[in-house]
Amino acid sequence: MIPIILFLAPAAALMLFIFRSKKLNAFMVCLYAFVHLACTVLLIFYPISFGRYFECDPLNLYFLAVLSVVLAGVSVYNVDFVMKSAVDSLKSTYYSAAILIFAASMSAVVLGANLGLMWVCLEATTIAGAYLIFYKEGKEALEAAWKYMFICSIGIAFAFVGMIFLSLACTGSHPSLFFRDIYAAAFTYNGFWLKLSFVFMAIGFGTKAGLAPVHAWLPDAHSEAPSPVSALLSAALLNSAMLVILRLLKVMKLGNLGGFASVFLIVMGMLSVFVAAVYIIRVNNYKRMLAYSSIENMGIITICAAIGGPAAFAAILHTAAHSFSKASLFVTSGNILKRYKTKEISGVTGMLRSDPKAAWLWMAGFIMIAGIPPSPVFLSEFLLFKAMFTQGLWWLAVALMLLLTIVIYGMASAMFKMSFGNAPKDITDEKFNMMNYGGQIVFMLILCMLGLYMPKAVSWFITNAASML
Amino acid sequence: MTEILIAIFGISMLYVSLTTRIEAYINVLALQGLVLFLMVLTDHAGMGRFSLLFLGTETLLFKTIVIPAFLTYTVRKNGIMREVEPYMPNFYSVLITTAIFAFGFITAFWASSHAPNVRPLYFGVSIATIITGLFIIISRKKIITHVMGYIMIENGIFMMAMSVVGEMPMIVNLGVLLDLFAAIFLLGLFVSKINTEFDEVHIDSLSNLRD
Repeated sequence: MIPIILFLAPAAALMLFIFRSKKLNAFMVCLYAFVHLACTVLLIFYPISFGRYFECDPLNLYFLAVLSVVLAGVSVYNVDFVMKSAVDSLKSTYYSAAILIFAASMSAVVLGANLGLMWVCLEATTIAGAYLIFYKEGKEALEAAWKYMFICSIGIAFAFVGMIFLSLACTGSHPSLFFRDIYAAAFTYNGFWLKLSFVFMAIGFGTKAGLAPVHAWLPDAHSEAPSPVSALLSAALLNSAMLVILRLLKVMKLGNLGGFASVFLIVMGMLSVFVAAVYIIRVNNYKRMLAYSSIENMGIITICAAIGGPAAFAAILHTAAHSFSKASLFVTSGNILKRYKTKEISGVTGMLRSDPKAAWLWMAGFIMIAGIPPSPVFLSEFLLFKAMFTQGLWWLAVALMLLLTIVIYGMASAMFKMSFGNAPKDITDEKFNMMNYGGQIVFMLILCMLGLYMPKAVSWFITNAASML
Repeated sequence: MTEILIAIFGISMLYVSLTTRIEAYINVLALQGLVLFLMVLTDHAGMGRFSLLFLGTETLLFKTIVIPAFLTYTVRKNGIMREVEPYMPNFYSVLITTAIFAFGFITAFWASSHAPNVRPLYFGVSIATIITGLFIIISRKKIITHVMGYIMIENGIFMMAMSVVGEMPMIVNLGVLLDLFAAIFLLGLFVSKINTEFDEVHIDSLSNLRD
């Protein structure tokens, strides 16, 4: 199954270049996404590794499942986006091929069993992602793509320095970058180098995961990229970088330096939530607002993972909850952009009248991301606060609650203002087909299921993944 | 021999912080590439034959010849002014770089007490190079000097990887992939979208997106 996920994408991309038809482009991305989903389901039941470099364990299967569902939902929306886009067929082919490569390299990061390999694949996501962000061309897109490339490549260079330090930390005769070997030998590692290596890698991979203070590329990239790409960036790319950080945290715990790593990650996580809270109340661009919300949620996942205990379950659950709701919101923001032709919050009013489906999805997405029941975010945040109080970190919990309240206030005031009121006259009243809404509806249903009634199998799946932290 | 090469490398970084001409930056990059090539030749214990060949070709061909030639061509084609336009006077720039070097050596000697397999000179100069590269990115206005700063960081990382090559030969080969980014940056500047979209190739023009 793993070879299909990894090699179908480049093969499909090559085929796209032979035919260069928009219809095929849209169809192929969709086909890949659903084959990906089928393979993931099969992998969950029959976890077969592929060589030594790609292995399955409960943690990465969970991340793969999230990636797969997001990809499938977004690819449905992507069909209409590709078919109606005004670019020529060659450019559309480049776009679709880049999406395929982007998805395959994210899957490779998730499935990788070797730190070096994961690092290389993250590099590949940076390159494919830069093209996708630049897709709309023009000054702003170029600026966003350049910032994304430059900041992420410096981050990746830092992560590489961290890998060098990790090899210095190894006291045995043969340092290895396979996580299996690192886990087994972590307790013999030299503490000084291990700490140094963790700091460099947390900052380096944290750049890709969108953690403050190295998040500068994220709002620009998310707001300038086409909406399906923003959804993939936010709901899939950030997670795959986060998986690397979670694995490194495990290494630190096994090396008896869990306390150091936790403090470092909690500082980064709190800083991320703080940055999001500061910016989200004054930004006047709804895609940037969603991007800041991504920073906030990545911060929460980091804090959950760092606190550990019952919060480890929360970290895993929050990953899925954030990914599905954010993918849905970003894709819906694409619908809004198509109808209103502006990204400014002040330019959008009366969505309930102009496009009720989008408006309801927009508000439902807000309920899900804000953690109002039936959202699973409510569950995960509740578990996090519970874990914080039992560990005596009540001051941290209070600070986090305050910051989250600011974030929710900022998002609520913007999103409800956009939904109610009278629509401006000059917007298009074209009807969008169901492809533009189907993915989001499925995301919302999955979220409701996770929040209201979690089937035993899913809960077992999440518990298993959390036990790997 | 390796010590002399490392010293030359370190001095080249100090020279970069001192000079204001873009050509000098390009020459320094070529020199660094050559130094790294010689380093690969003289200090290849633990490297396989294939690695040696690969790294030798990469440093000589790519770092020493192709990147500097490409940079020169880009500077001429885009009509970039000769000055690097720092945000601060050169004097302070030199002071800060010297401080960075002092910091690098102190860290290296401190670190070498924690791990016997660390060579302080190697380690100190590479740490200092990485930080100086970051400093150059922060303190210069032109986009092309940012790319050069990135290449310097990358050279520092290459050197640091060389110092652990005995333990993990694979890691140096991986590090070469960072050159891929440098190549893409250069390609971006070369295809010159940056130049046609923005009147000046200043980092100031990359500030449309903000809150």
